[in-house]
Amino acid sequence: MSVPSRFWSAAAGRRFPWPKLASASLLILLLAAAPLCHAQQSARAKALGQKLLCVCGCNQGLIACNHVGCTTSHTMLKELDDRIARGDSDQLILQSFVQEYGLTVLAEPPAKGFNWVAWVIPILVPFIALYIVWEVVRRWRQRAALAPAGGPQVSAELLDRARQESEKESNE
Amino acid sequence: MDILGSFALLLALVAAGYAFLAGLAGIFTQRPLLTKSAHHAGMAVFGLVTLGVGVLEDFFFTDNFSLAYVASHSNRALPPFYKFAALWSGQEGSLLFWSWLLSIYAFWALFLNRKRHPELMPYVGVTLAGVQTFFLLLNNFVASPFHVLASADSAGTFHLARIAEGSGLNPLLQYPEMVIHPPMLYLGYTGFTIPFAFALAALLGRYPGEKWIHITRRWTMIAWCFQSVGILLGAHWAYAVLGWGGYWAWDPVENASLLPWITGTAFLHSVMMQEKRGMMKVWNVWLVFVTFLLCILGTFLTRSGVVSSVHAFAESSIGGWFIAFLGIALLVCLGAWWKNRDYLRSDNQLDSLVSRESSFLFNNLVLLAACFAVLWGTLFPVLSEWVTGSKISVGPPFFNKVNIPIALFLLLLTGLGPLLAWRKTSLDALRRNFAWPLAGGVVAGAAAFAFGFREFYPLICLILSVFVTLTIVAEFYRGARVISRHEGTNLLTAVGSLTMRNTRRYGGYVVHLGMVLVFMGIAGSAFNRDIQMDMGPGQTLAIGPYTILCQNFDQVQNDNYQSERATLEIFRNGRSVMMLYPERRFFFTSQVTQTMVALQSSPLHDLYVVYAGRSPDTNQPVIHAYLNPLVKWIWFGGIIVVLGTGLAMLPNRRAALATATEKSASHSLAAESASPLGANADD
Repeated sequence: MSVPSRFWSAAAGRRFPWPKLASASLLILLLAAAPLCHAQQSARAKALGQKLLCVCGCNQGLIACNHVGCTTSHTMLKELDDRIARGDSDQLILQSFVQEYGLTVLAEPPAKGFNWVAWVIPILVPFIALYIVWEVVRRWRQRAALAPAGGPQVSAELLDRARQESEKESNE
Repeated sequence: MDILGSFALLLALVAAGYAFLAGLAGIFTQRPLLTKSAHHAGMAVFGLVTLGVGVLEDFFFTDNFSLAYVASHSNRALPPFYKFAALWSGQEGSLLFWSWLLSIYAFWALFLNRKRHPELMPYVGVTLAGVQTFFLLLNNFVASPFHVLASADSAGTFHLARIAEGSGLNPLLQYPEMVIHPPMLYLGYTGFTIPFAFALAALLGRYPGEKWIHITRRWTMIAWCFQSVGILLGAHWAYAVLGWGGYWAWDPVENASLLPWITGTAFLHSVMMQEKRGMMKVWNVWLVFVTFLLCILGTFLTRSGVVSSVHAFAESSIGGWFIAFLGIALLVCLGAWWKNRDYLRSDNQLDSLVSRESSFLFNNLVLLAACFAVLWGTLFPVLSEWVTGSKISVGPPFFNKVNIPIALFLLLLTGLGPLLAWRKTSLDALRRNFAWPLAGGVVAGAAAFAFGFREFYPLICLILSVFVTLTIVAEFYRGARVISRHEGTNLLTAVGSLTMRNTRRYGGYVVHLGMVLVFMGIAGSAFNRDIQMDMGPGQTLAIGPYTILCQNFDQVQNDNYQSERATLEIFRNGRSVMMLYPERRFFFTSQVTQTMVALQSSPLHDLYVVYAGRSPDTNQPVIHAYLNPLVKWIWFGGIIVVLGTGLAMLPNRRAALATATEKSASHSLAAESASPLGANADD
């Protein structure tokens, strides 16, 4: 890259490192503009932070969100610390976050209203499925019990095949 | 060149469409020539899509930014390694990549079976061609990667834009694992199309016997193995790159990859019921159908913008296409099942609730419960917004609360199932098989409790892991001891011999062992520790057995990025043990800053150090250090799972010998009678 003569230092006779200086300044500017890190969280702040999501769209817990470019987690963590320092209860802190950022700030759906369904269904469905399996098995067993005891005449070939299969099963 | 790429994709669409229509016509008119021509057209799709992919890669490697896709996903300074990976870094390219992988699978399946299963293959060809036609429609008309950058002048004439430099690849993707992770995951997603095609074909064609289920199982294992590797590599990438100290965030896109994996796992277990006892045929067919449909649903979630995710592609109209395809595929499955449901009648009934069959039933029940819980949590925000009008979030705490108990129950079944006999297990056998493993688990749990290990779920996980491991070890030991006595070999040789006699069974146990390690690794996360501190040169930070000394901060630069880097010396028990260099990189082209984690991994724990930015108070760099126990067990467990799957796919030694003998006998017979030999190898 050609550099105009005015960028040469007369005293040293060497080219002034403008590109390096510019890129270093840009880096410092960008790193400084990037979200600043929050100080170490207390145990209570960490526990509450796990119940909240960062609202920047990263879908991560407030404590976990550290992605570069996040413009919200620093402010939210500071707010959390301030409220803890003020002596607010956990419930009050969570409520205030919901008021400020909406329901999406909670990491899990509140167990009330329609959102209660979110918790009930995953518990209910396995039990319904269990009942269906139980019912299917019961019918199978009933059908097996109703099968004629004598059964059809078994040929020697079929018996031989059954023995082979049985041997194969016991090997497996 | 872009014309060549577009034309290749258009021809591929024509070939796939022809394979679909001619295949259907061949089935209905029973004209073999038509069927054969459709079969060849189906294989030709592979060559044409490969040409399209080759042309796009050529644009990347020659830094030709006249294509919008290349201009927005590459730049001149991008290393060649990543130029290749840029193919799947955006919506259009990844859909083309999907079509390409599907065409490879389809070619492979059609070529391998070109002379086999003449009643089955026409239906397989039509199903594969139908799926390929859908994706090629997207590649050609909805998300073409061959859109050129052009501008119109005042006279309305278009001129190609001359762009000197592209926008570059997303820095998050500039990591070696990102070159492997998406292809593995896509190989899993696309791979599930093959078992789907065989299952649908068997149902539609009422294919006699159980041969189709063997073929379906084998293809499912291949897809499942790729999906497992893809998921684990994704988790490792998230861990090593994103810098939040974890590997799984229950993000909708992560969940989407987990769903078909779970149903695929359920199928690989329940398929044994059909093979051994002729039971659960309807269930198996639907598991294969649902696995395929979940792959399409996952793709819809990723690409439609319907759920918010850091992984998701930009919101686009493509979602409507996927919903339509999903609806059509579901209708075809329902129709095929309803019309041929008598074909799927069970040959046998369940004899006892304490049997291998019932353990598979419960295993499937638990796996499907887990699948439902993940799907429910992923889609609930959409449902809630639809019903209440307000948005909510379903984050990691919900998924952990719901899924951890289910996963632990599944771990218990992993130990119970293999020790139960087919049909019925006696009380004596139960006592004999379970007494020692159960005692081992309880002793391990008691010892851990005595040493202050009080977390409930990890404690249960430890007990169950020891129990499952001991049941597996006991299984190997019992079998090997018999062989050792009979053949006079040592126990280790006997273990090898035992494994090779029934690769599927013992390969399965190896997979279970790998899963135990993964479970233990995940349980370790309950004991994660972290600390964050502003650190100037000479300052120290202590975490666990380590002391971190900050030596200095410097800057590093190359053509692609510039970074600010910390030099940290790590001491253990007062002794210097290693140097770590966490950094933050600023990528010039994309103007994005990215964290680079410094990681020291050992079987016991990972020391994970992040350069987390600058303190607002002191303007000093902030170091965030994590001590994460047992993470390495997850990756190691993953390797064991893959090895076990590979082992399970090998033919049994006895079967291989028998096939070889049969083949040589057939060859002699064929030579004698000079008649053409029909292929009889197992698929």
